[in-house]
Amino acid sequence: MTSAVTGFDAATIELLATSLREVFTAHPDAQGVAAALDELGWDEVSASDPAAATTLLFTEHGRALAISRLLDDIVLRELTPALPAGTGNRAVLYCHPQHALLLGPLDDITELVTLDGAGNVGIIAAESVSARPIRGFDPGSGWLCIDEIPTARPLLVGDAGQRAVAAARRALCAEIIGICTTALDSAVAHTTSRIQYGRQLATFQAVRHRLAESYVAVEAARAALAAAWADGGVWTARLAKLRAGQAQAELMRHTVQLFGAMGLSQEHELHRRVTRAAALDLLLGGHTAQADEVGAALLAGADLIRVVEI
Amino acid sequence: MTDTFAADLDSYRTALRANLMRESSLHAWRTRHYATTEERIADHAALMGELYRQGWNRYGWPVAAGGAGGDERHRAVLYDELAAAGLPIPTPHLLLETLGPPVSRFAPELAARYLPAYLRGEEWWGQGFSEPEAGSDLASLRCRARRDGDNYVLSGQKLWTSHGATATRLVCLVRTGTPESRHRGLSMIMVDVDTPGVSRRPIALASGDNELAEVFFDDAIVPASRLIGAEGQGWAIAMYLLQYERAMYAWMSAADALRRLRELRDQLSTRLAAGGTLPGAAAQRLGQCYSQLITLRARSAQTVRRLAAGATVGPEASVDKVLLGGAEIALYDLSRDLLGPEFVFDDTATVAQWRSEWWYSRSATILGGSAEVQRTIIADHVLGLPKEATV
Repeated sequence: MTSAVTGFDAATIELLATSLREVFTAHPDAQGVAAALDELGWDEVSASDPAAATTLLFTEHGRALAISRLLDDIVLRELTPALPAGTGNRAVLYCHPQHALLLGPLDDITELVTLDGAGNVGIIAAESVSARPIRGFDPGSGWLCIDEIPTARPLLVGDAGQRAVAAARRALCAEIIGICTTALDSAVAHTTSRIQYGRQLATFQAVRHRLAESYVAVEAARAALAAAWADGGVWTARLAKLRAGQAQAELMRHTVQLFGAMGLSQEHELHRRVTRAAALDLLLGGHTAQADEVGAALLAGADLIRVVEI
Repeated sequence: MTDTFAADLDSYRTALRANLMRESSLHAWRTRHYATTEERIADHAALMGELYRQGWNRYGWPVAAGGAGGDERHRAVLYDELAAAGLPIPTPHLLLETLGPPVSRFAPELAARYLPAYLRGEEWWGQGFSEPEAGSDLASLRCRARRDGDNYVLSGQKLWTSHGATATRLVCLVRTGTPESRHRGLSMIMVDVDTPGVSRRPIALASGDNELAEVFFDDAIVPASRLIGAEGQGWAIAMYLLQYERAMYAWMSAADALRRLRELRDQLSTRLAAGGTLPGAAAQRLGQCYSQLITLRARSAQTVRRLAAGATVGPEASVDKVLLGGAEIALYDLSRDLLGPEFVFDDTATVAQWRSEWWYSRSATILGGSAEVQRTIIADHVLGLPKEATV
């Protein structure tokens, strides 16, 4: 599997991916991850090729099912120049029509920067809200939910809000692709080793075609993400997020089937990938909602831009 | 027109775009509907003549074969800009894109002789691969070519030959080895349709359009100089050809499909503006279909660039083909579902074209190796799964 963006050569990518894997394996918590990335000099890597670095970082984040506030960093990097100076630590509150989500606890946070899918931005004091851990589909995410949000002072940040949403969506695409890649690899390994009716599962055409379709879905998401990076715009980041969301839905449907009853069990790790991918799909807009919005925009007269040029 | 276009893709694109918008002689092709495939191909061939006269469709083809230099990217840009300008991609270009590259590469003297006329729209070629007993299973071909001095004697049958009924020449994959030789005993040869012993019969698709034909060879004598590559090299050349059939064809079809999606959206917007309604989930499916087409472009552009750089695109081209099949089926199902009763009952030229293309879109997952074959290629050669059990 190659990176969606090929700014670094293959050997460098492999080296960086290995280092990131070690970071995410050794540090299950957000603080540890941040410190380890500092030690790795990740800022420099990122500065030399932001697209490739971000894609790698979040792909490995997904593969490891890591928990961190790295997505907040992506959002705040876009927003901070447009925000009033703050005094303490800031975290991002991701606002959706029914849910406002935090990626980690409020312990050392003083301000929350609110961001919704349309790029609207506000600031609220962290002490003015109470957050409860999410115990939903993906209890392992470590995310928190805020039920009552005080009215945020709306901020005029120009297009920084939209750019932040686009940047976050691209990172989320990479993370979803990372999760899908490991799920597909494990399904290939499983169906190659498990024998039924005296032959490997992967010798049955119905099984092989599900795996092939899963591969196509991930490659499609990868291509859409590369196009989103090349273009840098809001519209293309949304299209990429739509494809990544679609890919995880298709691929997880196939892989859950291929693992048989094993994939449904608590002790098997597959369910963690299914639920994390589903949660990430919904963050800043799930694929069906995105398709709705894109289609509505087209019906309202939006240009069917080609996005990709030769 | 200067040769800088061959070396500078962006200046080619800019000049082409400006010309397509400005050139009033092209306008007639924007709104035409055709009663038959034969009529459409002939009229599209005339469009090729116009594009050739102005030089635009010569880029991307070797100078020695009537081209103006440049590479696959020039061709991709031409298709894109035609579609963006609301013009059709001329039908004969579909098979030019499949047959032109292998003929140019493996039979440059044949390309020098016949390709210029193809680019001018004065002739076009058909692809004689499939047979009654060999569809996607190409290694089972039985149509024989027996060497006899300086000639080959062809006997057998081809089926589902695209544009076969109107083509001037057919590029055929034939068996020169023993019946058991499978893919090792195949050769590729160019046959003129007016050769004695060659007869053909159009096959009407369910839409009534004669898109395909069956061709019979009854001891037809074809000079050995018409061989493309060496005897027995047919399979390797077919694999070279399939890169183009899977990758360039995908790009070309995506360009056309995006134009058709825009036209569908315009039709639906008009209906909404007149107080009409759309079925549930219309917006979602429209958004979904558009994102599929953009994703296909994203993937396909990477492949086209690789071809232009001279890389061999291996089994991963099947990903492009699977994405194309999915996107085309989605687009035309969308047209059927959203146009609704109009699609099923109306008799206007606009709707008849949607219906005809709906039928043709079904072939996106059949021709050039079925969707099942593409998935098997990915399973075998990309994912490296153990081979499928044979019965």
